[in-house]
Amino acid sequence: MAELSLDGVTKRFDDGGNDIIAVDEASLEIDDGEFLVLVGPSGCGKSTTLRMIAGLESVSSGTISLDGTVIDDRQPADRDIAMVFQSYALYPHMTVRENMSFGLEESTEMSDDEIRDQVESAAEMMGIEQLLDRTPSELSGGQQQRVALGRAIVRSPAVFLMDEPLSNLDAKLRSQMRTELQRMQEDLGVTTVYVTHDQTEAMTMGDRIAILDDGRLQQVATPLEAYHEPANRFVAGFIGEPSMNFFETTVEDERLVGENFDYPLSEETRADLGDATDVTLGVRPEDIELVDTNEGDGEHDFRTVVDVVEPVGSGNNVYLAFEGDESASELDMDESRTFVATIGGLRRIEAGQPAIARLPEDAIHLFDGETGEALHNRNLDDTETIEPQL
Amino acid sequence: MPSPDRTDVGRSIRSRLSDLRTRLVGDTGDDESPVRTDGGATVSRGSAGTGLSDRLRSLRNSRFVGSLPFWLPPFLLMGLFVYGAIGWNFLISLTDMEGFGDPDYSALDFQQYAELFGSEAFINAARNTFVLLVAFTVLCLVLGLVLAILLDRTLRLQNTFRLVYLLPFSLSFVVTAQLWAWMYDIDNGIINSVLSLGGLRPDWIGNPQLVLGAVIFALVWQFSGYAMVVFLAGLQAIPDEHFEAARIDGASTITMYWRVIIPQLRGSVISALVVLMIGALKAFDFLYALFGQYRPAAGADILATLMVREAYSNQHWAYGSAIAIVLYVLALLVVIPYLYSQYRRGAL
Amino acid sequence: MSQETVTADATDGESSTSDLRDAIGGKRILLYAVLALIAVYFLIPLEAGLVTSFKTNEAVINTAPYLPPGPDGFTLQNWAEALDTLSSGLVNSLVMTIPATVLGALFGSLAAYGLTQISWKGQIPIFALFVAGVFIPYQAVLVPLSQFWSMIPLETALSPLWALPLLEPYHADLIELIVTHTAYGIPISTVLFRGYYMGLSDEMVEAARLDGAGVFEIYRRIVLPLSGPMFAVVLIYQFTQIWNELLFALILVGGTGPSAPVTLSLVGLGTSLEGVDFGLRMAGAFLTALPTLLVFIIFGDQFAQGVAGRT
Repeated sequence: MAELSLDGVTKRFDDGGNDIIAVDEASLEIDDGEFLVLVGPSGCGKSTTLRMIAGLESVSSGTISLDGTVIDDRQPADRDIAMVFQSYALYPHMTVRENMSFGLEESTEMSDDEIRDQVESAAEMMGIEQLLDRTPSELSGGQQQRVALGRAIVRSPAVFLMDEPLSNLDAKLRSQMRTELQRMQEDLGVTTVYVTHDQTEAMTMGDRIAILDDGRLQQVATPLEAYHEPANRFVAGFIGEPSMNFFETTVEDERLVGENFDYPLSEETRADLGDATDVTLGVRPEDIELVDTNEGDGEHDFRTVVDVVEPVGSGNNVYLAFEGDESASELDMDESRTFVATIGGLRRIEAGQPAIARLPEDAIHLFDGETGEALHNRNLDDTETIEPQL
Repeated sequence: MPSPDRTDVGRSIRSRLSDLRTRLVGDTGDDESPVRTDGGATVSRGSAGTGLSDRLRSLRNSRFVGSLPFWLPPFLLMGLFVYGAIGWNFLISLTDMEGFGDPDYSALDFQQYAELFGSEAFINAARNTFVLLVAFTVLCLVLGLVLAILLDRTLRLQNTFRLVYLLPFSLSFVVTAQLWAWMYDIDNGIINSVLSLGGLRPDWIGNPQLVLGAVIFALVWQFSGYAMVVFLAGLQAIPDEHFEAARIDGASTITMYWRVIIPQLRGSVISALVVLMIGALKAFDFLYALFGQYRPAAGADILATLMVREAYSNQHWAYGSAIAIVLYVLALLVVIPYLYSQYRRGAL
Repeated sequence: MSQETVTADATDGESSTSDLRDAIGGKRILLYAVLALIAVYFLIPLEAGLVTSFKTNEAVINTAPYLPPGPDGFTLQNWAEALDTLSSGLVNSLVMTIPATVLGALFGSLAAYGLTQISWKGQIPIFALFVAGVFIPYQAVLVPLSQFWSMIPLETALSPLWALPLLEPYHADLIELIVTHTAYGIPISTVLFRGYYMGLSDEMVEAARLDGAGVFEIYRRIVLPLSGPMFAVVLIYQFTQIWNELLFALILVGGTGPSAPVTLSLVGLGTSLEGVDFGLRMAGAFLTALPTLLVFIIFGDQFAQGVAGRT
């Protein structure tokens, strides 16, 4: 059993008199055997959090405990954890076998025979038994990655910590290792904290994901919850590829007034907004429907012009500009006011073509314009209606 | 990937690993700490002792304390010989120590320094020291850089040329002095045997106008190879793309080096300077060996030779110590900006 | 024929990745000519010294200094005499240089590793003192140093040692030199090793900490085995520096005592009232230079690569 819990964990760095808060009051409960992914943009404090759990960084305030015992004053080696590093951090002058034995030799009283058995079992499990007598420089990136994992499993720790372990692999190998790592973690049932900046990795691997931004925990949820019910605008924008479209609007009576459009709201949706006056309207690209120019005259249909089409094979990313908004497509991304819709890969559509974009009300998210907090998330009823069809 | 097999292997290893785990936990008999803890202390915050024991533990765990056995003994040995000695030297320079007596530390004053700055020999030696330092370092850096650029453009024999250019660096100043004494020999030396074809026969070592230049030339011969090695390493660390990008931007070879490549060699300049300075500070050895005595020929006296001569030939210990302090202050004028720039670059 | 080679080289050059760094065609011949000319500048004093060392006194005066001696002018007398005069100096130098080099490098490695264990801010003042120690003019410590060693009766204190075979009372001087050179070798060794250790992967050291290795085990099992290239540089550098040093030997040993290192003995070699015996001097110079020359010829590549790894 290994339940890891973080309670108000804070990390302050002293930078020439100015305190920099790298992690701000992070509280998390990670269940036994759970695969938790810490995800966020670079510099958000995810690696620092992981390093505090490992004991490589001290905790400025708050506590970290493993199965109810506070561990933040223990040496890293005494925390019953193993870590896989981004660079793998293999010892270059030792063979794979020596790399894997090192931790057992240093931290346990095991006999040489026991160590050899355990190293060989772990190597067999990772499929690297034929590499045991090579040195890291003789291995490919993928093999080094396996050795790094093997070095972690061989110690049979209570918790695995992984710091972007797949980011040095090429794309194909990365997705293969993703699956393999997940399977390994399920088999071993070891509580795992996994850090990544890649939201796809987070979505596909985590039992739950914890999204960090600017040192603060934004949301801890299952991948689908984070996707469909983001706690705030940051999470909504960070999770999902292409990102959710956002439109800044003001609330006027029962409508949202944007720069290029008016969006009428139903009574229930309007009720969620309360007193908010500035509201960000968010809609995921796959929820935008492109309808025929002659049937699109509903209140949530808008006339647009196709700016750019990016075919990705299974679908097309269509960048749209509101009709009459000539300066919408600027080279500068920040200035660009286009928004993106994804449509089926077999639909033909070309740049310059007019199109009607439908933003269905049951798919929109509304965020407070000032705090970014979610005021209203999409309606999930239709997911249940789809299920029986499968 | 044969997934069912893998899963089976996974299951079996999992149970074996967990067996081992239980065994280990059983061995130590300590649920909180399944792995050995150094010193055997497992302290959870709740049961931690107060005050003293807390502090003792944090002291033992402190990385600073753990690092002491490594750096403190070398630091003390070095500190005693370097900073202890400099302090002592300063003290001696404030006394009137001369001849065979012990220094009298009861009457300290700056008299030696007053004498020093009024002395023509000192002013002369200080000027020669300055000329030697500047000319020597600049010439070594320039020659080293040119050699490195030329060598960087070769594909073959690079290591051979590098070794040849580096060979003089391996020699003692005493050896260099013998070799160049022969090169500069007025009657039979190579230089004059070539110049005599044009009817010239300068006395390189005897002529006060020429001797300092001759000394610098020999020192540059010895050290420019080292500067070349450092620059070559710096050049080879620059990716080919920078050369290619500069070419595509239409830069000529000279512009390419001057504006794109050389500015990237700052670090190399600094690390070459370190060794050149150390070498220049030992120029005493060269001059002493060249002339075979404490007094170099007129025109080649530097602070380093003046100091040793005053102290060990004339037994003016306090006076010599005062010269040594001046020499140290000159070194500090180089060291402090160097330390500061390294600190600013985060390279310290 | 030669033209073919040149063209082949040129096309070869164009397809190579470092194409633009590599001069092409006729330019390349010029480049190699210039490099060879410079090589002559670096080699001529050595060559002149070497041929002169084999000349009789008459040949030194009568033949061109850079030409080898004729059959009448050839002699091994200079080398024999130099070896005879310098042999005890050579032994003394070896006895002094090897321990001082190894100890200095070891202390430097330990100090540098110790410093990497402290937070960056904490180690700055300590490390700054090491760096400043690199640039110490030996003159600045000379008078205290000779006072210090004259106050310590090393020869009497170690008198039981002199009963041992091969040890003589004058070896006390060499012990003084060993301690002195070790102490002044620590700053540069520390600086060189620290630069190297800063380049070692932090994650690797952290992995070792997580694996349960303490500060000492990390040094012994991870850092020390990976220090090889830097040890090569520091040992080569310190060996040449200490072997070649004159000032400390002159002040601490003085004159031509039995404990004089070779550099000290070389200074007076071949000079007399009648003039300078350059043949003898050159033979002595080469004998003195032989160990360091050999070190550079054998390990020069490692040294250059180690210097490269540092910058």
